Amino acid sequence: MSLPVAKLALRLRLPAAVSAAIGLLAVMAAVGALFPSVGHTIGSLKVPKSVANLLGGGDYGTITGWFRSEIAAIYGPLVIGALAITGASATTAGEEEDRILGLVLAHPIRRHRLVAAKAVAIAGIVLIVALGSWIGLIVGVAVGGGGITLAHMTALAVQLAFFGFATGALALALGAGTGRRSLATGAAAAVGILGWLINSFAPLVGALDWMKYLSPFYYYAGHDPLTHGVYIVGVIVLGLVSLALTAVGMIGIERRDLRA
Amino acid sequence: MSTPPVIVTSGLTKNYGSGRGLFGMDLEVREGEVFGFLGPNGAGKSTTMRLLLDLIRPTSGSARVLGHDTVRGSLDIRRRVGFLPGDLALYPKLTGRKMLDYLAQLRGGVDPRTRDALVERFGADIDRPIRELSTGNRQKLGLVQAFMHEPELLILDEPIAGLDPLVQQSFHALLGEVSAQGRTVFLSSHTLSEVERVTHRLAILRQGQLVVVDSLENLRKVAVQRVEIEFAEPVDADEFRALRGVTEVHADGRTVTVGFEGSADAVVKAAATHEVLALRPREEDLEDIFLRYYRSESAA
Repeated sequence: MSLPVAKLALRLRLPAAVSAAIGLLAVMAAVGALFPSVGHTIGSLKVPKSVANLLGGGDYGTITGWFRSEIAAIYGPLVIGALAITGASATTAGEEEDRILGLVLAHPIRRHRLVAAKAVAIAGIVLIVALGSWIGLIVGVAVGGGGITLAHMTALAVQLAFFGFATGALALALGAGTGRRSLATGAAAAVGILGWLINSFAPLVGALDWMKYLSPFYYYAGHDPLTHGVYIVGVIVLGLVSLALTAVGMIGIERRDLRA
Repeated sequence: MSTPPVIVTSGLTKNYGSGRGLFGMDLEVREGEVFGFLGPNGAGKSTTMRLLLDLIRPTSGSARVLGHDTVRGSLDIRRRVGFLPGDLALYPKLTGRKMLDYLAQLRGGVDPRTRDALVERFGADIDRPIRELSTGNRQKLGLVQAFMHEPELLILDEPIAGLDPLVQQSFHALLGEVSAQGRTVFLSSHTLSEVERVTHRLAILRQGQLVVVDSLENLRKVAVQRVEIEFAEPVDADEFRALRGVTEVHADGRTVTVGFEGSADAVVKAAATHEVLALRPREEDLEDIFLRYYRSESAA
């Protein structure tokens, strides 16, 4: 791993990461503030099971279900996934397409070490956003009247971070392996959306229930961290997938020509 | 004992398909020389440089730089080479200073005095964000980063692009100093006057193939000679067209310019049948040489 490369990649994306973290924090505070006035009303609504699953399957009438549906199912993974994917594809394929990588790799640095450094930087970005989410949860739950333990809020932030690692690593593998930014961004985003849909709908059809295991969303929130705490298996699977995808990117960039 | 060549390529090929790429290039660049690499756009100049730095890999053939194979020993090569890409791109948000610091860190540090001397020499603006710099000012940063670690070999792709004449002059002086120190420069250009001014030897590349490699002096020796003859009275230009070895004749009033290959005897004797006021040999410039090779290959 090259420390200068990691530091610069992190620094260039720090403003976006801090903005996203502050934005998430503000959204969570607002979501918490809304709960006392609308939570019980929405909680009495009868929604189809499929729609409920898309929104995390939580009970809106409780603060845990409220945050599970509003934050854990949508905002959290959307923001952290988008930032990880766009950051990873930009710092690999984006820099290659912008012709910066050609100059950097004319210096004495091995390609796989460069990709490893970029992976560390993206992990740093993800951690910043996860930290913002964690603080936002604490603030939001407090504003909403409390009811979720600190350990369970920490668990969601941890699961969110590992979800970010995995989606970022997928974009990194595609970006480093192909040198094509739009492909890396588009394919990683498609996998994320498909994973969300599979995790939401597959359990509704008995024969397709097994498909949920293919979705990163299952390992991220399938065991409801706000209720049950950290899902160790999920963390391990997402962690291993992240490492494997990073390795794919490191090997992929070594085996091909730079495109620009 | 002579020192081994700094760059050796053997049947170096990069085939992009549809006739594009580089094909079977055999080339040697010697230590301490400024070697010009000349050719039209798409001839394969940048492809060659990218192969030498292992940014792309050969389809077949091989190359050695500073004694190392370009694929297996690329890290050792890149430690000792300074590179200026033809389409230089830098991080737009960084200042020139931060960009140079970053690239210096990738090399494990450079002597700041060398860097500062280059910055001063080229008048590079290193305190503004790169996105605010003109093309020429970015190119100055590119030159500073290529030279700042005092590499043994400089690979420079279109180095004077965007530079004003004063900076070009300063750059050419630096090339002379670098060469005098025994360091080697491999530069590409389509600016013929630049190659003519600074290179010891040159290669002309066309459609991915080397057309010729020689010194400018030798290229001129085998070039078509021209002589401008000023007569006391206008003469019939056809008298010269019929002569053996004559390739071209231009008449303008009392002046006739004759281009010929081989001996000047027939031309001089034909001219001597008239009153000759002046006889002025005209040296073929690089553009003529380049275009002649280009045309002859096109015709082949």
